[in-house]
Amino acid sequence: METTRPEIPPGSLYMLILKTLARLGSMHGYGIAQHIRQTSEDILQVEEGSLYPALQRMMIKGWIVGEWSQSENNRRARFYKLTPAGRKQLLRELGEYKRVQGAIARVIEAV
Amino acid sequence: MSELWRRLQWLFRRRRFEAELEEELSHHLSLSGDPRRFGNTTLIKEDSRLIWAGRLTEQFFQDTRYGLRAMAKNRLFTAMAVVSLALGIGANTAIYSFMDAVLVRRLPVSHPEQLVVLNWSRRAKTPVIHSINGTMWRDDARGSSSPNFPFAAWQELRGEHGVLQSLFAYARADKVNLISAGQAELASCLRVSGNFYSGLGVIPAAGRLISEQDDRPGAPMVVVLSFDYWQSRFAGRPEIVGSNVTIDNLPFTVIGVSAPGFSGIDGGRAAAISIPLRTVPLFAPKPDDDARDRFLDSHFYWLEMMGRLRPGVTMSQAESTLGGMFRRFAEASATTDRERKGDKPQLWLEEGASGLDTLRREYSKPLFLLMAMVGLILAIACANVANLMLARSTARRREIAVRLSLGAYRARIVRQLLTESAMLSVAGGGLGLLVAFAGVRGISWLISDPLGDLVLSPSLNWPVLAFTFALSVVTGLVFGLAPALQSTRIDVTPALKEARASAPTSRSRGFGLGNSLIVAQVAMSLVLAVAAGLFVRTLSRLNAVELGFNRENLLVFSLNARPAGYQQQRLAAFYENLLSRFRSVPGVRSASLSDFLLVSQHWNDENLTIPGYTAPGDGKPNSALLSVAPDFLKTMQIPIVLGRGFGPHDIASPRVAIVSEAFSKKFFPGANPVCRRIGIGSHSPADIEIVGVAKDAHYNSLREELPTVAYVPYTQFLEDFGQVSFEIRAAGDPLSLAATVRTIVHDASPAVPLDGLTTQAAVIDNTISQQRTFADLCTGFAALALLIACVGLYGTMAYTVARRTGEIGIRIALGAKRAGIIWMVLRQVCLLAGAGLAIGLVIAWQSSHVVQSFLYGVKPNDAYVMAGAALALAVAAVAAGFAPAWRASRIDPMAALRHE
Repeated sequence: METTRPEIPPGSLYMLILKTLARLGSMHGYGIAQHIRQTSEDILQVEEGSLYPALQRMMIKGWIVGEWSQSENNRRARFYKLTPAGRKQLLRELGEYKRVQGAIARVIEAV
Repeated sequence: MSELWRRLQWLFRRRRFEAELEEELSHHLSLSGDPRRFGNTTLIKEDSRLIWAGRLTEQFFQDTRYGLRAMAKNRLFTAMAVVSLALGIGANTAIYSFMDAVLVRRLPVSHPEQLVVLNWSRRAKTPVIHSINGTMWRDDARGSSSPNFPFAAWQELRGEHGVLQSLFAYARADKVNLISAGQAELASCLRVSGNFYSGLGVIPAAGRLISEQDDRPGAPMVVVLSFDYWQSRFAGRPEIVGSNVTIDNLPFTVIGVSAPGFSGIDGGRAAAISIPLRTVPLFAPKPDDDARDRFLDSHFYWLEMMGRLRPGVTMSQAESTLGGMFRRFAEASATTDRERKGDKPQLWLEEGASGLDTLRREYSKPLFLLMAMVGLILAIACANVANLMLARSTARRREIAVRLSLGAYRARIVRQLLTESAMLSVAGGGLGLLVAFAGVRGISWLISDPLGDLVLSPSLNWPVLAFTFALSVVTGLVFGLAPALQSTRIDVTPALKEARASAPTSRSRGFGLGNSLIVAQVAMSLVLAVAAGLFVRTLSRLNAVELGFNRENLLVFSLNARPAGYQQQRLAAFYENLLSRFRSVPGVRSASLSDFLLVSQHWNDENLTIPGYTAPGDGKPNSALLSVAPDFLKTMQIPIVLGRGFGPHDIASPRVAIVSEAFSKKFFPGANPVCRRIGIGSHSPADIEIVGVAKDAHYNSLREELPTVAYVPYTQFLEDFGQVSFEIRAAGDPLSLAATVRTIVHDASPAVPLDGLTTQAAVIDNTISQQRTFADLCTGFAALALLIACVGLYGTMAYTVARRTGEIGIRIALGAKRAGIIWMVLRQVCLLAGAGLAIGLVIAWQSSHVVQSFLYGVKPNDAYVMAGAALALAVAAVAAGFAPAWRASRIDPMAALRHE
């Protein structure tokens, strides 16, 4: 299980989930994990042990809401979608990410 | 906010939330198709629980659930713990609510903390004071103190504007006859200065209140009703404001009602109505009487005062300023040399936030005593629960050792044990509120004073509930902390090695916390039992007092026809007429009247002129007096031992007297007093003939030495005669005559209200109500303490026996006798109880003088009481210990050894 797969940097999991939901509109947990994996070309793998607790935390914060409906394998699944608060949070996190990324880049390229 | 709401939703629907998470996870699994890769579902679920509830809340719920399960498993333990706590907390809450009513609650006025009460004190005679109408009391610090001042002193002190915002005056409440719409009724009446309501900051509930313009000579006469009186007598009818009423035969107009909750400034004695101070002289019996002059007399001290401090002024600043003014006033009032040279009264201030302190002076000591007792009971209950908790946590040693060795934090385990004890105490506190509710009603009933106008309104209000809550939490911590700390301070390795269900031998723990708790419980119970014994003995001594008259089957009541316009001979005729009507009622043996009832804590004495008698020292002969109707001695069944009783003719020519045996012995030692003449008053001629000697009877109270009494026909003092008490001797139950008596009085004059209709026995009982209350409450408290302590002893011993089952089984298998086993267990009971009794006796011996002032006919260190209490406790302790000892002796050795 513990392979060389890189860890998702702490704190950015929320951003990834929010961005995924912003793109897909409404998706269940498995779909979210799949999307992140596929879009990152298998570099980012979201562990279930961190995905579901993160989803629960985000529900408490009111960023996402879950609705039950039919999934592709004909079973009931909880589909998450963004709330207005979640959309705002995404913008905040993206802004912060860009700021930090730029700063890191400057430090590294200054050599 | 909404986050909290979502968390709460989870809290109440966690089952559904968890099922949803489970379904979601299994859906994920079915899509990914790799069960191996899927982490620990249970861990995810636990994580999610922590996320929703937060760590502390989740652990709190864990502990609570665990605690509830443990409670359900040990129902007896839980019930014993909760009930003993409920009794302890309930008793404390009940007594505290009385303390709150008497000592803590403040006047319902604006900024009560600014109010000060004016008093003066003196150590020696003060000749400038010719007479005082009001209360006086003594204490060691100041000598004699009184709150009464002359009217002129108020006028003088009012002029000062440096330290006080206002200074208002009032004369104490007394009963007046208030007639409204033809109905007469007695009401307590406060006479107040014009700035009284404005100074206090009380607002009207209807109409307006008395103001300066009402308190001028010649102003229209007005009266203000208290809210409670408006409700109870007039059902809150608004048209009462503006109506006319008659107060002691004078016409008044109702101008308003004071704010709800306010009924005067004396917390204990509510005033139903208030009238302007300036109307006081109008009530003087005769218009030409010197009462009008006395109103302004600067040697007559009768008026009380309260002031409101200016913001920023301290009480001692105000005291020195007002004190100086009052000293100058007193010096200026001196007119003779003796007055100029003599001492002057000294002004001092007292906090007035809680109103006048008559109630506090009267009840604070008994209340503190009761509070100390219920405090002891709570301590015993706590010790009990601590002991039970300790026993239980000892049983859980292995469990705790396992958890500690698996890495549990000690603080975490202590917290769990504390949660369990807090649950017990909160349950105890909740149940305790019910106990308190019943207790308040019970005690109110015990101290209820059917004859006086004492108003105590204890209630379970917010401060009292806060007190209970704090008490529950603190007791939870107190009895939970020690066992929790002790049981987690264990050496893990030996505890794990111990066989299951066995426990450390008692020897390895020395004289442990548990045993000390039991000794302390027994000692405290003994102190309470001694107190109860002392009070019960006091009460039985009081009840056994030889009265000198027959208290049974006497109906008594009082009335006053004078305010209705009857005076002098008309008054006597009115009363004679009533008496003869009463006598004609079937079931009435005889009827009489006196100026007050015997043994009702009234006293009237006069200096006497007795030719041929010289009092020791330079004093004058002095005796108690009672003005009576001719049938009085016959009605009270006080026998005549010499001479004759009164006859009807003594009403017409009243210069006669009958004296008590004590009177005869004191003033005519060795001689026959019949036909001798005395004078009543220091300078009166000796023109009253003694016609008989009556057997001694109690006069003022049960606790007095038999006083010298002279009975005289009431027509002798018709001048200032008004209020009288009637005594009617019935053939059977006196109260069955009550309705008839009311009708007769109403028929004779509807304007004369009847008051205090009861029995002579009830009047006497009322004078020892405090002793009776103490005896009842303390007996109850002592029984409670004994019960709780025995429960604790029983629980501990039963537990010890259960722990030593194996050991006892071996002893029996090796040939120990059953009786030997019983003795082995009882010996421990006796040791513990004996140690407790010894300590308790020492404490009781050292501290019983505290209750000396509540006792009568018994010494605080009465040997019988001490021995009796110790014996009762010893018997109870052995009884509590016997059941476990018996059970130990019945242990089947085979079963016990297999059990190991």
